[in-house]
Amino acid sequence: MSYLEYNVKRVPTGLSKILYLNWPLILLLMAVASVGFLMLYSVAGGSLEPWAEPQMKRFALGMAAMLTIAMVPIWFWRNMAGLAYGVSILLLLAVEFFGTTGMGATRWIDLGFMRLQPSELTKITLVMILAAYYDWLDIRRTSHPLWVAIPLILILLPTFLVLKQPDLGTAILLVAGGGTVMFLAGVSWWYFGVVIAGVGGLVFAVFASRGTDWQLIKDYQFRRIDTFLDPSSDPLGAGYHITQSKIALGSGGWTGRGFMQGTQSRLNFLPEKHTDFIFTTLAEEFGFLGASSLLVLYGLIILFCFYSAFSNKDRFGSLLTLGIGTTFFLFFAINMSMVMGLAPVVGVPLPMVSYGGSAMLVLLVAFGLTQSAHVHRPRGR
Amino acid sequence: MIRTPLRPLARILRARETGENPDAIEAENLRLRHEAQRDRARMQAEGRLLVLSVFFFCAFGVVGARMGLMAASVPEEPRVQAGGTAIVAQRADIVDRNGRVLATNMFTHSLYAQPPLMIDKEKAARELAKIFPELDEQKLLKDFTGKRKFLWIRKKLSPEQKQAVHDIGDPGLLFGPREMRLYPNGSLAAHILGGASFGREGVHSAEVIGVAGVERAFDDYLRDPAEEGRPLQLSIDLTVQSAVREVLYGGMKLMNAKGAAAVLMDVHTGEVLSMVSLPDFDPNDRPPPLLKGDPADSPLFNRALQGVYELGSTFKIFTVSQAMEMGMVRPETMVDANAPMKWGRFKIHEFQNHNYGPLLSVTDVIVKSSNVGTAKIALRIGGERQKAFLGELGFLQPTPIEMVEAPGAAPIYPGNWSEITTITASYGHGIAASPMHLAAAYSSLLNGGTRVVPTLLRRNTVEKGKRIVSEETSRAAREMLRQVVVRGTASFGAVAGYEVAGKTGTANKPKGNGGYYQDKNVNTFASVFPASDPKYVLIVTMDEASDTSGDEPRRTAGWTAVPVAAEVIRRAAPLLGLAPIIETPDLTAVRHTSN
Repeated sequence: MSYLEYNVKRVPTGLSKILYLNWPLILLLMAVASVGFLMLYSVAGGSLEPWAEPQMKRFALGMAAMLTIAMVPIWFWRNMAGLAYGVSILLLLAVEFFGTTGMGATRWIDLGFMRLQPSELTKITLVMILAAYYDWLDIRRTSHPLWVAIPLILILLPTFLVLKQPDLGTAILLVAGGGTVMFLAGVSWWYFGVVIAGVGGLVFAVFASRGTDWQLIKDYQFRRIDTFLDPSSDPLGAGYHITQSKIALGSGGWTGRGFMQGTQSRLNFLPEKHTDFIFTTLAEEFGFLGASSLLVLYGLIILFCFYSAFSNKDRFGSLLTLGIGTTFFLFFAINMSMVMGLAPVVGVPLPMVSYGGSAMLVLLVAFGLTQSAHVHRPRGR
Repeated sequence: MIRTPLRPLARILRARETGENPDAIEAENLRLRHEAQRDRARMQAEGRLLVLSVFFFCAFGVVGARMGLMAASVPEEPRVQAGGTAIVAQRADIVDRNGRVLATNMFTHSLYAQPPLMIDKEKAARELAKIFPELDEQKLLKDFTGKRKFLWIRKKLSPEQKQAVHDIGDPGLLFGPREMRLYPNGSLAAHILGGASFGREGVHSAEVIGVAGVERAFDDYLRDPAEEGRPLQLSIDLTVQSAVREVLYGGMKLMNAKGAAAVLMDVHTGEVLSMVSLPDFDPNDRPPPLLKGDPADSPLFNRALQGVYELGSTFKIFTVSQAMEMGMVRPETMVDANAPMKWGRFKIHEFQNHNYGPLLSVTDVIVKSSNVGTAKIALRIGGERQKAFLGELGFLQPTPIEMVEAPGAAPIYPGNWSEITTITASYGHGIAASPMHLAAAYSSLLNGGTRVVPTLLRRNTVEKGKRIVSEETSRAAREMLRQVVVRGTASFGAVAGYEVAGKTGTANKPKGNGGYYQDKNVNTFASVFPASDPKYVLIVTMDEASDTSGDEPRRTAGWTAVPVAAEVIRRAAPLLGLAPIIETPDLTAVRHTSN
């Protein structure tokens, strides 16, 4: 729905916008980030270096970016959606050709002062363009095949580029996030039904083909699936992360071993202990209580996003907020599931907690957009 | 979908009548329709949002529940279940006849690397090369940086080495527990035990399998879980074994011998109380087999069992005993021992071309070790019966002793038992057997005349074997052998109080291309003690021994094997619990001197 239908004059202006920010959400983000600082301090053996301090600086930078973005009216961002999407696609292409390779994947562009990870950026710009698209699209055409094909292309183009890096985690996030926006925008159930049935059929076909002449995936890929289904079959190889993190979670018990007392994570049993597997440190040191508290914090963030979207009559702002909330949800849900052995290991960080600049900055920028949508939401008539 | 028209005709007409603007009606209707549409969209969006929320809520529930489950679980290190059959690492101990440990297991660790987990590969390679000097730093580094995901570094670690590797602190260097075989007595019973090594190896255990000796022969028993680790008890007496080895080693050095072997056997049961072969090795660190040259030169070679030698004059007693048993001769019967004896194109000489004349008593044939006398007796017995008798004594088959090497140690004798074979075999030439064969044959002949089967296992019950000769013949043979020590070629064999009886044997070593070395001997002394009531047989064999204490080297058994055997008996007899016999004065003919 267009803004022209609402009284824009009642939208706050100037510095008074600060009063209309979604403050609970900001406080929740700060709380989650603080948990991250504590954990990074702990895994470094009680030291700000090398992780906690840079992370704090990045958080401060990210908060500033978030507030700045929140001050800019949401309709500006809507108009920028196409450009942002185009730029991120170009950056992904640039990674393909000029990217820096690290840990077996090419994901970064070295800008000199920082290393940019365009796939992180794409998670946001994809949600933006989809929200803008459905804001623009006549609602009656939502389920028309032609008008379904366009957002599909918008989603699959960056997904394909990201898969080439290769980065399965981000690809899953892009498809799931984009799909959710389409779902919320009202695309017919039939499309989702067909896609789900298709994926299910494909999975069945892959497993059914095992050991036959027309085997669809390679043997080693099957072994990875086996390891996911039963990590104890290869506890020193592919199942190592999972097995060790399970031990950490189990040894934490209900109340944990206490701050800085975790053995599994601090004694180098766990690789990636400060990034993707930082949740194990939390679970070991603060137990079920600490881990579920973090889960509650995350839950509240989602809740406030949803409420903000629900009370926002602007279709772009609403879809954008929901899309970002969903992306955030997918982040921590996939990460936690992976750490707890519910999902295979794909490289998805724990949002706002794992060490890493690109991911945190991008998330804060995204929350800046939801803040902007919240501040500039249409109010009555 | 039923749509309300934007310009319903009835209303338009009515409006026209009242002068209203019909466009306003259309605008009004359009607005209503838009609103309805928007409301539907909102309804739908709210519905979708609800669905998503339910999904999220479920996801939260699953993650939370999983967290709770894991928090409630007892942390447990996972254990790898090796594929295929489980590796049974347990291996039973081996003990001596008194229960003292000969072989046991020790818990240790293996060291392996998983290069993908390693942090500082250069440092790890450098430090490992420092801890284990036999490892090459460059090769290690190559392995670590290559494509390998797993490699063994060491199969066994000492605790100190393990700590040192720990201190490197690399997570890619990992330890696996494993049992290893330990022989606490080192080389003491090396050839008997053989040795063990690792079979199938896993990270968490390794199979210990016997590679030689008793370990190999009883491999299945030692690893049988049904035996619940009951130790294998051997007939060996550790103390006696130690004494025998020590004396034999000293003797071997003193006599400049290339090798030496000894077998000590219980004459009634056939139990081997001691078996020594020198040079020997440490079964804890078994040397690799020789790749070229004579395998008999390897310390792994068990002379006592695998050393098939011409045992020389020690065989004469068999010929004489058989003749006595057949009633052909009695100890005092005179035999023509004129030398040299001609037989076809062969000439039979005595040692150092002696001639014992036409009248030599059978006892003196043994005491003086007359080849000619023995040959004459053998010709009267006949080849067929001689061969049968030697067969009954076990000289024609490998010994049935419980070692994996035993079946390979078959005696050597001509396929066609001609008359010249009969002659040479009567004094132990042209037929080759191991010291173990000789020990079993002497036991059978001298224990009263019943056959014994040599064994390495402790026997609790004694079962008389098949009778080979009568008690009388057995006793007469003992008395003759006693005379050999008292006044014959084995005078150095006398040991006060133990009535040693025995027979020397000196055989020239065969050349590879036929013929014999004149200066390379295998010297054997086959003894039994005490002569009046025999308990033990001791065979001592020395390979290329020469006593250099005199003006010229003396290479006969009487000068080499006999004094060593006497010393063995002097040391071992008290350990075997034999009380010395105080000889009564009426046996004045017995002199306690070495002449």
